[in-house]
Amino acid sequence: MSAEVAHVPTVARPAAEHAWVPQGSQFYGLYAREVIKTFRNPWVLVITLVQPFMWLAFFGSSFDAVPVAQLDTLLHAPPGTGYLSFLLPGVLATSMLSIGMFGSMSTIQDKRFGFMKRILLTPTTKATVYLTKALGSATRGFVQIPVMIAAAYVFGVRFAGDPIMWLGWILGLLFLGLGFSAFFLALTASSTDWQTPGVISNFITMPLMFASGALFPSSNYPSWMQVIANWNPVGYASLFGRDILVNGQVHWLYLGYLAVFAAVMLVAGTLVASRYLKVE
Amino acid sequence: MSAPSAIRATGLTKLYGKLLAVDHVDMDVRAGTIFGLLGPNGAGKTTIIKLLTGLSDLSDGQASVAGYDVVRQPMQVKQRIGWVAAEVILDDDLSGWENLWLQAKLQRLGDWKPRAEELLRYFSLTDRREDKVKTYSTGMRKKLEIALALLHQPEVIFMDEPTIGLDASTRRSLWELITGVNREFGVTVLLTSHYIEEADALCHNISIIDQGRFIATGTPSELKGRVRSDFIELEASDGVTEELLRSVPGVAEVRTQGKAWILKVANSEETLPHLFRALGPERIRRLNVEKPSLESAFLEMTGKKIDQAGSDVHDYRKFYLNVRRSRQ
Repeated sequence: MSAEVAHVPTVARPAAEHAWVPQGSQFYGLYAREVIKTFRNPWVLVITLVQPFMWLAFFGSSFDAVPVAQLDTLLHAPPGTGYLSFLLPGVLATSMLSIGMFGSMSTIQDKRFGFMKRILLTPTTKATVYLTKALGSATRGFVQIPVMIAAAYVFGVRFAGDPIMWLGWILGLLFLGLGFSAFFLALTASSTDWQTPGVISNFITMPLMFASGALFPSSNYPSWMQVIANWNPVGYASLFGRDILVNGQVHWLYLGYLAVFAAVMLVAGTLVASRYLKVE
Repeated sequence: MSAPSAIRATGLTKLYGKLLAVDHVDMDVRAGTIFGLLGPNGAGKTTIIKLLTGLSDLSDGQASVAGYDVVRQPMQVKQRIGWVAAEVILDDDLSGWENLWLQAKLQRLGDWKPRAEELLRYFSLTDRREDKVKTYSTGMRKKLEIALALLHQPEVIFMDEPTIGLDASTRRSLWELITGVNREFGVTVLLTSHYIEEADALCHNISIIDQGRFIATGTPSELKGRVRSDFIELEASDGVTEELLRSVPGVAEVRTQGKAWILKVANSEETLPHLFRALGPERIRRLNVEKPSLESAFLEMTGKKIDQAGSDVHDYRKFYLNVRRSRQ
C-alpha cells in the first residue's frame, strides 16, 4: 500500500478564503448538482411539464361553450381573443409562484440526510448554498415555459407582438420565478420538516393566484382585492404578457417592476439565509 | 521536541438550553497522531466534533484546528479538515466520481483529478467510479467517504463513529485503512467511538468522556495501567455464598452478574490459590480472569459499563434509519 501512496498526487490549496468573497467554484458545483439531480429524475420532470399543460387543457377549455362575444366582454379583450390566449400568460405566471417548493424540498432533504453538514464543512457559505438552491429550483420551473408556449400554439393560440417583446415577456417570467423561489427558500430556511414546503406553497399560491388578474381581469375585482393585485408581481407578469400576446402592446415598466422584485427578494433572502439557514 | 498541536482546545463548552453537552474540556492533539474520544452515546463526542469543525457555536472556551481559530477563522479551518460521518453521507443520485467532483468544487481545488484517481485506486473503487453511489455496499460507501475527506489534503480528519453498523470483517479492514491513512498520508485523525477494542486498536491517545467531561486522558496502556484490580468471574455450585467469597483473602468486592459472581481482587495470581482452597475444586464450574483492560478502566473510572443502558440498540436503529432514508 505504501508504495502506491507515494504516488498520490498533491493538490494546491487555494488562497485563504473569506466568508464574504463570492464563491464561483462552490456556486458552480452546487448549482450543477441541483440541475443534474433534476434531470436524472424523469418523473419530477414529467410532472413539472404536465401540470401547466393540464391547466391549459382543463381550465382553458372550461369556457368553450360560452358565446365568444360574451367572453370578450367578460375578459375586456379585443373581439375573438378566446379564453386560452387570455389565460396563457396568467398560467405561466402562476406556475412561477410555487417553483420555490422544489428548492425548498431539496434543501430540507439535504438537512435531513446530513448533506448540508457535508457542504458546510467545506469553505462554502450559507449564502452560496441558498443562492444555488434558489437558482436551481427556478431553473427547474423555467423548463415549463417553452413547453407551455408550444402547447398553447398546438391548442390554437396565436401571438401578437414581435420577438423582442416575446423575449421581454419570458425574461419577466424568469424574474418572477427567481423572486418567488428566493422568497420561498428564505421562508423555509430554518425548517427541517418535510411538510413545510407543501403548506407554504398552498398558503402563498391561492391568494396570490386569484388576487392577480392571472385568471380573470382584475377590473372585475372588489376594491380590496384590487389593492393586492396592484402590488402582486404575478399580476404584473400576467398583464405584461397579456398586453404583448393579445394586444401587441408592451409596457416595459412592468418588466422593471419584476426585475426589482427579483433583486429585492434575492438580497433579502440571502441575508435571511446567511443567518437562519439550519444545518440539520 | 514534540510535534505541534493539530487540535488544541481550552475550556471548550457547549450549552443546549440548560443541558451542558460539553463541559469545559481541554484537548491537545499532536499532529500526525490518532486521537480517540471514547464514551457512551450522548457523552458529548459528536458535539465536540461539531464545535471543532465550526458547525456549532462555542458557548465558552477556545479552540484551534490546524493552527487556525475555530471561531475567528472558520474558512481556513474548513480548508484543512476532512470529515467522515457516522451515517455515511454522500449524494446517492451522483456517481462516485461526481461526488469527488463536487467535493473538489466545494474545496475550490484546481488540478484535483490525478489525486482523485489515485485515491479511488487506493480504496479499490476505480471500477465503480461511474456507478451511482446508491448501488455501493456500505463498506464501499465508507471508503468513498474517506476518499472525499482526503481529496483536498487535509491536515486533520474527523471521523465520527467510523465503524458503527459495519460487520466484524469490514470493521477490521477499515481499522487497517484508518491506520494506513494516518501513517501514509500523515494526517491527524480524531475519531469518536464507543467500541473499546476499536479505541485500543487504533488510537495513540484516548480521552474517556462521560456526560460532557473528560474523565481521563492518556495512551491506551497508560489508561489500563491506572486500573489496579483484576476481576475474577466465577460460576459455582449452589452452596457458595457471598460471605464465603468475601472471606477469601485478597477479595475486595463481590458482585453478581446473572448466574456468575464477579470478584474484584488486587492480584488474581495471589488470590486464586486461596479461592481454590476455600471452595474446593468440585464446587467451581467455570472460572475466568479479567486482567486490566480499557473495558475495566472505563468501568473503574465512570462506574458503569460503556455499552450500558441499551445505547447501542438506539444507535443502530438511528444508523439503519439513516442508511435507508438516504437510499430510498
